[in-house]
Amino acid sequence: MLDLFDKIAEATAHIRHHWEREPVAGIILGTGLGNFVEHLEVEAAIDYGDIPHFPTSTAISHRGRLVCGMLNGVPVVVMEGRFHQYEGYSMKQITLPVRVMKALGAGTLLVTQAVGGMNPYYKPGDVMVIDDHINLMGDNPLVGINDDRLGCRFPDMSAPYDQELIGVGLEIARRQNFVAHRGVMVAVTGPNLETRAEYRFLRAIGCDVVGMSTVPEVIVAVHCGLRVFGVSVITDMCLPDALEEAVVDHIIANANSAQPKLTALVEGVVAHLCSQQLG
Amino acid sequence: MSGFEIVESAAARLRKHWPHRPTVAIVLGSGLGELADQFDEPVQVDYSEIPGFVLSTAIGHRGRLVFGHYAGEPVVAMQGRFHLYEGHKASVAALPIRVMHALGAQALVVSNAAGGLNPNYRVGELMVIDDHINFMFRGPLVGLNAPEWGQRFPDMSAPYDKRLADAAIAAARRGDFVCHRGVYVGMLGPTYETRAEYRMARGMGGDVVGMSTVPEVIVARQLGMRVFGVSVVTNACSPDQLGTTSGEAVVEVANREAERLATLVTAVVESAK
Repeated sequence: MLDLFDKIAEATAHIRHHWEREPVAGIILGTGLGNFVEHLEVEAAIDYGDIPHFPTSTAISHRGRLVCGMLNGVPVVVMEGRFHQYEGYSMKQITLPVRVMKALGAGTLLVTQAVGGMNPYYKPGDVMVIDDHINLMGDNPLVGINDDRLGCRFPDMSAPYDQELIGVGLEIARRQNFVAHRGVMVAVTGPNLETRAEYRFLRAIGCDVVGMSTVPEVIVAVHCGLRVFGVSVITDMCLPDALEEAVVDHIIANANSAQPKLTALVEGVVAHLCSQQLG
Repeated sequence: MSGFEIVESAAARLRKHWPHRPTVAIVLGSGLGELADQFDEPVQVDYSEIPGFVLSTAIGHRGRLVFGHYAGEPVVAMQGRFHLYEGHKASVAALPIRVMHALGAQALVVSNAAGGLNPNYRVGELMVIDDHINFMFRGPLVGLNAPEWGQRFPDMSAPYDKRLADAAIAAARRGDFVCHRGVYVGMLGPTYETRAEYRMARGMGGDVVGMSTVPEVIVARQLGMRVFGVSVVTNACSPDQLGTTSGEAVVEVANREAERLATLVTAVVESAK
């Protein structure tokens, strides 16, 4: 269990060999959001398969490489494709890259994901800044003996998503005149989508959107002391009493259509972090 | 060795340390371990000496069994328990219950430190557990069921013994301190809950939330033991005015409430004779 510390060091050393800068932020790109890298001045791109202890990404539309470079002059490290519990990975495997980002020097994690919208005021193609989450994945990446070098035994979760960065994100959306909600995301294991009864249940327990990722990474980010900014892209509506069959191609198309908004939010938050660091 | 053989060999080992039959088994939760320091003629056995016992890594947990007499009754107590967030299987976490039952215990007293969801609860107050919700996504009875273990499908209509609960609440009244009666939600942990998760747990009927107890109680019920459970509210989890929580703060509050806990446990041990 305590070998995680060494795995992080080995993965970090490998990346350091290709890229020497200290990233301001780590960014995880979810389903259909992979084109974001076009906005990056790429300095190194490393396939997950080449990084020691990294799993390989099998999900549709996830490319599976770590891209290091400059976003408008700010050094960032970007996961193009992430790992999911439904691929059969353990939560420790899924979240290793977050710990590596921290070890590389990142102070903030930006995480994006495609989700189903349950709040009837949301529309496909809208974005939601994550205010809070509910973990219904039935597991937790911190189960096992705690390595105190990595974080504390019982991390507080009263505000996993940085309140200041939420405000920054919403302000960017207002200025650029697009809709950005603020809400609660619930993570389930998947890979099947939910039944109508499950959507009713998830809505009733207080959730606005549902996805199959992000929560493990955010828990680990909080554990290792990273600030977190999360954005969900609503790719389909999950209204149990008017439920339409989910089509993966539509989901990806909606995610792609939201890319300009997502890019604006990520660029804006990274710029804010950079100005804070300089200020 | 089968699970049953492990239990038998642990019980045989422990009988060599302490020849009496305990009537009550007691599980002492985070920061509540000092109750066993009040036992008469105590005998301590470290978990590392007991077959099938894993090591307790949690904060405020010492990791040993203490035998002795409490309120005049022969009892055995766990100073430190096993949690699922430590990476143990639920069946392993609950194994000590089977061992204490094999030694003769017919009643189980479980205590824990818990976060208060019910807005009427205050930090430092006690809650007698009336019922629980298993939200740990795991259960100690999953797998092949050996007939010696008990029933395949134990009834859970009233896992917590009403008479023992009544005895404890009456003792709290006599002692003039607040003692609630409510529903415990067992979560996996080790993260504390988010505000949204607290709202969910409250919305589905929980009064307090914790990371233990449920696997132990399920196993005790399969064994037919009478169960008494008590939570010490160590932090308030009102989602709309949530402060931060740390393991150290939880243990500190639990330590402060040792005397009241002892009052309840004394009443329950006397009632369980």
